[in-house]
Amino acid sequence: MDYTMTDEQKAIKENFANFCQKEIAPRAALLDRAGEDEVHSLIKENMKKLASIGYLGMPHEEKYGGTSNDLISQAIAGEEVARACASTFLSCGASYGLFGMPLKMFGNEDQKQKYLPGIIKGDIVGCFGLTEPEAGSDAAAIRTSAVKKGGEWVLNGTKTFITNGPIADVALIMAYNDKEAGPGGGVTAFLVDRNAPGFSVGKAFDKLGFRGSPTSELVLEDCVVPESAVLGNVGHGFIQAMQTLEFGRIGMATVALGIAVACMDEANRYSKERKAFGKPINRYQEISFKLADMMIMTDISRLLIYRAAWAKEAKDPESAVIASCAKLFASESATQIASMAVQVYGGYGYIKDFAVERLYRDAKLGEIGEGTSEIQRVLIAKSILARFKK
Amino acid sequence: MEFGFTEEQMMFRETIYKYAKNEIYPLCEEADLKAEFSHEVWGKLGAMGLLGLPFPEEYNGSGADVVTCCLAAEALGHAGVDSGHMLALGAHTYLCTDTLYKHGNEAQRKKYVPKLATGEWIGCMGLTEPGAGSDAASIQTTAVKKGDRWVLNGSKTFITNAPVCDLCVVYATVDKAKQHQGITAFIVEKDFKGFSTGKPFHKMGVRASATSEVFLEDCEVPEENVLGEVGMGFAYTHETLSWDRSALLAPFVGGLMFALEQCGQYATDRVQFGKPIKSFQAIQHKLADIKVIMEASRMAVYRVAFDKDAGLPLNHMHTSIAKAFMGDWGMKAASEAVQIFGGYGYIHDYPIEKMLRDAKLAQIGGGTSEIQRFIISRLMSF
Repeated sequence: MDYTMTDEQKAIKENFANFCQKEIAPRAALLDRAGEDEVHSLIKENMKKLASIGYLGMPHEEKYGGTSNDLISQAIAGEEVARACASTFLSCGASYGLFGMPLKMFGNEDQKQKYLPGIIKGDIVGCFGLTEPEAGSDAAAIRTSAVKKGGEWVLNGTKTFITNGPIADVALIMAYNDKEAGPGGGVTAFLVDRNAPGFSVGKAFDKLGFRGSPTSELVLEDCVVPESAVLGNVGHGFIQAMQTLEFGRIGMATVALGIAVACMDEANRYSKERKAFGKPINRYQEISFKLADMMIMTDISRLLIYRAAWAKEAKDPESAVIASCAKLFASESATQIASMAVQVYGGYGYIKDFAVERLYRDAKLGEIGEGTSEIQRVLIAKSILARFKK
Repeated sequence: MEFGFTEEQMMFRETIYKYAKNEIYPLCEEADLKAEFSHEVWGKLGAMGLLGLPFPEEYNGSGADVVTCCLAAEALGHAGVDSGHMLALGAHTYLCTDTLYKHGNEAQRKKYVPKLATGEWIGCMGLTEPGAGSDAASIQTTAVKKGDRWVLNGSKTFITNAPVCDLCVVYATVDKAKQHQGITAFIVEKDFKGFSTGKPFHKMGVRASATSEVFLEDCEVPEENVLGEVGMGFAYTHETLSWDRSALLAPFVGGLMFALEQCGQYATDRVQFGKPIKSFQAIQHKLADIKVIMEASRMAVYRVAFDKDAGLPLNHMHTSIAKAFMGDWGMKAASEAVQIFGGYGYIHDYPIEKMLRDAKLAQIGGGTSEIQRFIISRLMSF
């Protein structure tokens, strides 16, 4: 047992904190309020900036330009990115993680060579296409079909809520090749280039939060991809997606933590400066105990995230459950903390001049994305109950 | 960073768990119901070496590290050993004996620690007073030097193990003007003239631990029973905080593991509307929430243990977060567990009712949740 960071991890924390506060944080408000086209260029610039300090290559191998960092180090860096700008975290994560991780785990050498170096440098943007209008929490209910015709596959269907959809150069699309295959089977993952015939991007959604990270539908109309676009084995797509989402859950927990820490920092700073009835408001327990609650919940979130990251790498049989625990706790804590932070700011927290207003809107996604809180609870309960027989 | 236990630690935990489940758990329900400290339970804890874990073998201990001490406490809680006896163990081993071991001179150690480590003697710690709870530095019990003895006057309250104790580490001030720097620790045997204990309190929870007042009426303590240095007592109480927020919280972590098993089994067996209630999401969600709280509090508690084993300076942020989280979130978890059991969770025949009563103590004893938030927010204001 060792709860301390390695020297390398400490250095990662410091480097990312410094870089992100200087280069990314000052642009967060801009990203939040920019128009659609401007958002696209700003977010790509941010991704390039983070690529320049190696963020997009942290989980990837050296031969593609990565650094093969452990998951805890990725969480440490991720918290700093998210604390500076949650939207930037999300777009980066969808590209190097949700797109990049299945490629790393299941891709062949040609596929990795084709995409990973560009993803890691921030030159190309990836996205992950699982969710459909009628298949959110119930991911197995997807309807997008893949039919083999000669040496090619023809895809038909619609994906929605796809982070990076509007800016993606390549998408990983999950589609049914065999509807009769039974639970967990019959789905295949395809690497679909933006310029593939029959592939188009829907209009970007106008969202409550994470406005700096563009989201849209992806439409596949007789979209033709070559056999070489199949990721791993035909019929393994659903399992690949579920394994990817385990990383995604740790990622979503991390962005929630980053938002929560940003809220806490803002509220803590403000409460020292703001005076009421002749003294700084942090002298009142109504305020200072809120700050303490923020500290307790962020700290516990971080412990659970590190534990989930460690468990995943240690191949702990409970790693998926711990990832769900971390995601559930961190995301629900973040919405509570954001709400408290707005409350500490009072009227000022309700206007767009202050960061907590944006953070409050951003926080909500944590309870929805990568498996809602309800789905996490179902998954956790299922694992507990599996042991009991009547 | 890595969060695994060694194979040796896990084997030790398993041994304790099995023993406690078979030998101790069956005795606990009655002890709680009667609100009686069970000397039979105490004897079994002693027989397994659980009352002297952290002390060297020459003092009848096992030389266990802090993480192992926590694992033992967690295993006992997991096996269903009631929080009352766990509190008795905590107060005895970690608040009383460890302070005596740590700050005692060789003669004091030799005289007292071996008897305490086996459980032959029962120890307690006397700090809290009727007028000094959260504000512990404001104690009024006085110690005046007269010749080769000290004369103590005052009263202590909420003292765990006092009614059954053989020895009490009493904190008294030698000079009120010096505030906390006047506080001194004394080793007081129960037969010392002027030492007496009150009637055991009738408590909501942790009922099998005996709690009462301690009275010091011209209580005479020989000079050789001053523990450590005069004026350093408050600093010693501070050192117990790392035990308070690790080994004394670990039984509650184990208790949540016990609750998860009880609730999982009950939800499987209990049928309503033609199906086991575990098939209803409202029940599943409560189980999930208890699991999250168990895992989270476990992380926070073992961090304090790790810090202590690693010899790191006392980290108040870590200790206060562990205490506040275990207290407040543990209470929520216990409440959800009762809710899963419904009416059966409200009666004594099922082990969950007791859990809710016991959980409340973790929000109060050893520093209230409010004091933890006070400490945390003060650290944040720098």
